[in-house]
Amino acid sequence: MKNYNLKFKIIISSIFIFLFLPLVAKGAILYFEPSKGEYHLGDTFIVDLRVDTEEECINTVKVIVAFPKEILEAKDFSTGNSILSLWLESPKIDQKEGLISFVGGIPGGFCGPLPGEPEKPNLFGRIIFKVKEITGGQFSGKLNFLEGSQVLLNDGFGTPAKLTLKEAVFTILPEKLEVPKGEWQEELAKDDIPPEPFEIKISQDPNIFGGKYFIVFSTTDKQTGIDHYEVKEGKKNWKRTESPYLLEDQSLKSIIKVKAVDKAGNERIVEYLPPQKPFPWWIAILFGGLIILGSGYLVYKKLKFKNKTSK
Amino acid sequence: MLKRMLFILTFIPFLVFAQTSSQDLFISAKVNFRPLPSPPSGGGGGGGAFMPSVVPSIVLQGKAYPGAKINILIDGKLITIINADSLANFKAEIPNITPGIYTLSLWAEDKDGRKSITVSFTVSVRSGVITTISDIFLPPTIDLDKFSVARGEKLNIFGQTAPESKITISVASSEIIKETKATKYGEWKYELDTSPLEEGSHNTRAKAETPEGLSSSFSRVLTFYVGKYEAKEICPRADFNKDGKTNLIDFSIMLYWWGKYNPCVDQNQDGIVNLPDFSILLYYWTG
Repeated sequence: MKNYNLKFKIIISSIFIFLFLPLVAKGAILYFEPSKGEYHLGDTFIVDLRVDTEEECINTVKVIVAFPKEILEAKDFSTGNSILSLWLESPKIDQKEGLISFVGGIPGGFCGPLPGEPEKPNLFGRIIFKVKEITGGQFSGKLNFLEGSQVLLNDGFGTPAKLTLKEAVFTILPEKLEVPKGEWQEELAKDDIPPEPFEIKISQDPNIFGGKYFIVFSTTDKQTGIDHYEVKEGKKNWKRTESPYLLEDQSLKSIIKVKAVDKAGNERIVEYLPPQKPFPWWIAILFGGLIILGSGYLVYKKLKFKNKTSK
Repeated sequence: MLKRMLFILTFIPFLVFAQTSSQDLFISAKVNFRPLPSPPSGGGGGGGAFMPSVVPSIVLQGKAYPGAKINILIDGKLITIINADSLANFKAEIPNITPGIYTLSLWAEDKDGRKSITVSFTVSVRSGVITTISDIFLPPTIDLDKFSVARGEKLNIFGQTAPESKITISVASSEIIKETKATKYGEWKYELDTSPLEEGSHNTRAKAETPEGLSSSFSRVLTFYVGKYEAKEICPRADFNKDGKTNLIDFSIMLYWWGKYNPCVDQNQDGIVNLPDFSILLYYWTG
């Protein structure tokens, strides 16, 4: 009887695996590009973080990447040409732990490239690595997406997509080139276009900042990506900050400027002019009243003078 | 043995449903790239004649609902609103685009002010090329005449789509599929008999297919209750500041409450503002 049970379980499991596993396993694949490569000491190279949605529509991404901190230094993270336009947690590099993480989203979702699209618009971001100048021969290191990485479907419920995580392997050769490879420097040199136009929105909500006025702003850069934002209120100095920004001048009398700076140093500055307040109504009434009183007094005086002269 | 068979029969529909539901999220449209006409070269000899620069542009065309207001967003920011014609067709051109990857999103408002979900397309825009996204068909709008019904009571499900389209209505948790046809003005309505439904919460959504064969993805999902349950929606559509839009300000409110609890921002009511809440906000994004 026990044997019969075991056989039954194996047969049923096999039927399920062969018939349904390809259907159930459908989901997002997170991968690196290139997935392998050879670099020399001192080289700077770029690794793309990409997604294959496998016909799912996704809208939220949480990524944690582990890199070999002993041989690679993560110099920067570029959001240029990323499909993610809202960053809930900006890309963060932790060189000490060898981790890179971010949380981003796509308003309205991303369902993969459209039929007829020759390129691969599926980039989350690009990691810029520099090979450390270490001794001891040839090394190899792996890049991994960690288990905490998540991709959520654009279904209105925040359903997690089934994830397949792929790794990349890099070989570090023991010698140094006369002119080390500098992929990122080449990208920076090419970028002379400022970040995309954007606007500043001012708001007030009892839910945040104790109901005080704050501004929101966001933009993208299609080449090397946004590096940072700066805010200037009136004659005060530029201040490096993020959105939302709590205004110091709660009277809203100052001109607010926001500067978006890309990785190559190109800037776009936008302004918010405080609304012109209408002339206070009580001054208008007072002024009108004084004119009427004054005119009345003059008429009275004139009549009095007339009466005097007629007498 | 019977128990085992029941186990198999219960799981097969579940697995098949999981497959179909993932496909239902997919949006159909196509993209085409056409080189811009090059400016006339040389000739004239007059010297100093102004030549317009050849900058890429994006064209969006498809169907929504007759007279619908179509909101167009680039990378989540509202850039223009256009109107569909009486046959529900629309066409918009976005000039002067810097080459790069863009997410174009669209949502429509029907004649009664009902909003569709936002659909997005990610495309690469290249120098000197017109990028055309065609065959877009926005999902139908959907509404209910009531959100709580007694079992056996009729529930009217209605909305708007392209004229004379076939509407497929799906009701879950009991998977019920019903069909109806839109009028020549795009209005559609279905009277659902709630007798076969269990007491409790149910979801409904609809998708459309035009007479020419364009298929939309599913509309937004509406929840209704059969029996003594009551529908209570706190901060629907992730509109935290209740200004009728889901945009950067709501995103900022979410950032403020990230990792904490706020009954309004915690859209899935799991006790913390976290990743699923962010996903729900992006689903309802209007720019």
